[in-house]
Amino acid sequence: MFDKKIGVTGLVIVLAAGSLLSQAPNKYAFPFSQYKLKNGLQVILSEDDSLPVVSIAVAYRVGSLHELPGKSGLAYLMENMMFSGSADVLPHQHFNNINRVGGKLNASTSEDMSIFYQTVPSNQLALVLWMESDRMRFLEITEDSLAETRKDLLDVMRQRRNDDPYLENQFSFDQLLYMDFPYSHPLLGSEDDLRALTLDDVKNFYAAYYVPNNAVLCITGNFNKMKTGELIARYFETIPGGKDLSVVPLAFQYTKKQVIKTEEDSLALAPAFYMGFRLPLFAPNDIYSLTIFDYILMRGRSSRMMRRLLGPDNKIARRLGGGIEKRRDRFAYKFFVVANNLYWINQCQNAVFSELDKLKTAFPSDAELNKAKNMFRRDYLDRIATTLDKAIFLCEEYFSLRNLDDLPLELEKTMKVTNTDVVTVAHRYFTTDNSVILNVRTK
Amino acid sequence: MKKSGILLGFVLWAVALNLAGQERFRKAQPPPEPRQELKLPSIETSPPLTNGLRVSVVFRDDLPMMTLQLIIQGGESSSPDRSPGTASFAAHVVTRSTQTRSASDIEEFIESIGGSLSVSTLEDFTLLTFRFLDDYLDQALELLGQMILKPDFAEKAIKSVKSILSLDYLEREKDPEFVAYRHLIRLLFKNHPFEKMGFSRDAVKNWNQKDLLEFFDRYYRPNNAHLILTGNIPIRMATRKVSQFLNTWQPGELNPKPFPPISPPQKEKICFIDVPLAKDCAIYLGTVFASTDLDPSSLSVVSQVLGGTENSRLFMNLRESKGYAYFAFSEAAFYKSAGLFCVRAKVAPEFIYPSVQEVLKEIRKIAKEPIAASEIDQAKSYLIGNFPIAIERLSAFSEKISEIMAYDRGNDYWSKYYEQILLVSPEKVFKAAQKCFLQPPLVVIAGDKSLLAARLNEFESIDVYDSKGILQYTTNKEKQ
Repeated sequence: MFDKKIGVTGLVIVLAAGSLLSQAPNKYAFPFSQYKLKNGLQVILSEDDSLPVVSIAVAYRVGSLHELPGKSGLAYLMENMMFSGSADVLPHQHFNNINRVGGKLNASTSEDMSIFYQTVPSNQLALVLWMESDRMRFLEITEDSLAETRKDLLDVMRQRRNDDPYLENQFSFDQLLYMDFPYSHPLLGSEDDLRALTLDDVKNFYAAYYVPNNAVLCITGNFNKMKTGELIARYFETIPGGKDLSVVPLAFQYTKKQVIKTEEDSLALAPAFYMGFRLPLFAPNDIYSLTIFDYILMRGRSSRMMRRLLGPDNKIARRLGGGIEKRRDRFAYKFFVVANNLYWINQCQNAVFSELDKLKTAFPSDAELNKAKNMFRRDYLDRIATTLDKAIFLCEEYFSLRNLDDLPLELEKTMKVTNTDVVTVAHRYFTTDNSVILNVRTK
Repeated sequence: MKKSGILLGFVLWAVALNLAGQERFRKAQPPPEPRQELKLPSIETSPPLTNGLRVSVVFRDDLPMMTLQLIIQGGESSSPDRSPGTASFAAHVVTRSTQTRSASDIEEFIESIGGSLSVSTLEDFTLLTFRFLDDYLDQALELLGQMILKPDFAEKAIKSVKSILSLDYLEREKDPEFVAYRHLIRLLFKNHPFEKMGFSRDAVKNWNQKDLLEFFDRYYRPNNAHLILTGNIPIRMATRKVSQFLNTWQPGELNPKPFPPISPPQKEKICFIDVPLAKDCAIYLGTVFASTDLDPSSLSVVSQVLGGTENSRLFMNLRESKGYAYFAFSEAAFYKSAGLFCVRAKVAPEFIYPSVQEVLKEIRKIAKEPIAASEIDQAKSYLIGNFPIAIERLSAFSEKISEIMAYDRGNDYWSKYYEQILLVSPEKVFKAAQKCFLQPPLVVIAGDKSLLAARLNEFESIDVYDSKGILQYTTNKEKQ
């Protein structure tokens, strides 16, 4: 565990200090720099002195995709365990310390990332780095903290099931769509698995994934770069790196055969269906075209599907949701529709196919394309609206892109999507053969 | 293998010991650096346009987004007595469609400029807020101009808005928190214009074209409005553009009526409203005061100590210590003529009685026992630290500005905030707490009667109201 990195000070690798501002002189750019510590911790810094606040995010490349069969729910459990105290920080002290200085904090877990983040007055940066480094270095994992966290999560599971009568159907649908265990099991795990997790399971998971070489530390806001570099070195550099964690994605089980299944559910209040299309991204730029496709079809009250199913003069559905979903290297497009009765649910399903057909047979107008792009720009800006948004955004993009310096190109590529591109991806992926449907019927 | 394993273990142990010795800095929490100065953009206001419309600009260039806010100095308290809710009704009709654009056209137009539109009708004023990509200021102003100059007051538009808001109220009336707060307002502001904030879904039936036209004609006037732009635009250009789209807006005669003085409750009272099928119940406790009677900064500190966050007394007591509540918070609001302090908690039905007792205990305590200096310092530290964090997002920033402008808090409000909080003394805090809580509070409980009936019998006396706010009967423990 404690190897030759002990005692080494200073920053080891300073990467290009990529600046979005210099690379893309547009209004959407903001500057950042990045480097890696010797223990593998990626550091991203982005200064903004508009307000005396600073946001700190620590993200680990770990999520439900890293769980083994029988151990589901570990990542989400770990997210909660991270607040139960570490060698030098008492249980719940992390929360209390942030709250006392007027800050805010939270954490979230996805299929491929667990992220811990906080915003504090800028003079409290050291406090956060101290606490984040302590839980990265030596989290207290005890039978008591495990039992307490497990109890809380079982309550959360029950609460979510009560709040969302279609939750279990969603899990069934994910199994149909993604098929293999790592991609298809629920983020919260199963109750049985959660009850069966042992202290060793949790300790091993922590030791494997909550290590500097599997993490990114991002600081955004009002800070002094020099001093901050020293603080990062002080608190993080002596944390030993973990084992090499190079990930080999599973091959996508892409089959072109329509899948239809029907489930009866006593919790369902009205008939519903899930519909999905696997998106194996045959061409590298398809994701940008699919993004604009998504805005035309589903985003906003004036989108085609919203108008078709929930329009003021044409309300045939009770609920409509969906869009592009990304689970590390796999993409899918999902629809979820609830309607009052079987007649209307069939009408809704036909309407989805009919709208998809329209996008294959006629180019969207320039005005519609422009509207989709403007909505995308607005949402993009919302992702970088505050120092915290920027910190989370940079962590997500760091794990998502091969090179963070490519970030400006992402927006540019989406802005370059043409009407033809939209029609092309509609043809390429939204075929009946490629559809997966789960019908939910009331019992 | 076994020997080498033991040896490795020993080496690791030794290294760990060494590391622990080297890293003493980890043992202690690092002290904060000196607090940084808060530098916020100034609010620039131009002389009123010829029709009386005031225009202000707050410069912010961190993102290519802009907000355009129109404050109309007429809120729910200005609705006609016979038809409460008319202010809200008017704001929704004005923004839904115009004589030249249908509701669908407007939705589409707003989305096409990367925008959004929100409408808030508050006690004293109405606020229309557009947010959009900053390339499209002209388009946003053009749309606002059409809404104001060519509103659609046809029966069809009116019917559509009434139907939407009626359904909206139907949903909201299933929420115990909404029901409890609304009833608290009705009782605390009895016979005061703010009472109209507490209108029920039934009021929608009374909304009509005549009242709507009268309200619009009286309050939607440029000399009764203030337009604020937040974004990267100089004040002169902003004024010129606003004038281009709104210079034909005709001023009107304004006859603002002074509000009657506020009269706090004379007697502590506990009320109940049934919310069928609600799984949890809401407790709202409140008191009112004349806004000139209390220093806002001192009351903010009181509220912070009592129920500002999860570290405050109410939350620590009702949730962390007793486990009765999902949450318990408090907040203070300052309007033009009056102020409101309220406590809100969401609790499980079985804990309703002890929860109310604990809330009452906490407010009596804060009114009778001076707060320790350390607790006051901590509350001030939170308020000062949280202020810039709370306004970081453009929407929250703009909302704060609209509040400053609507309540005439002065263009230099920003710069004084830290100073005013720092100047709050323990004496001022105690005085504010006493002023607020030595008068009897009102408590409203909302929840499912079938789950609560037995628990409510534990209270000495409860006034039971229906959803329209009409007293049905009073229970009395002695008589049971």
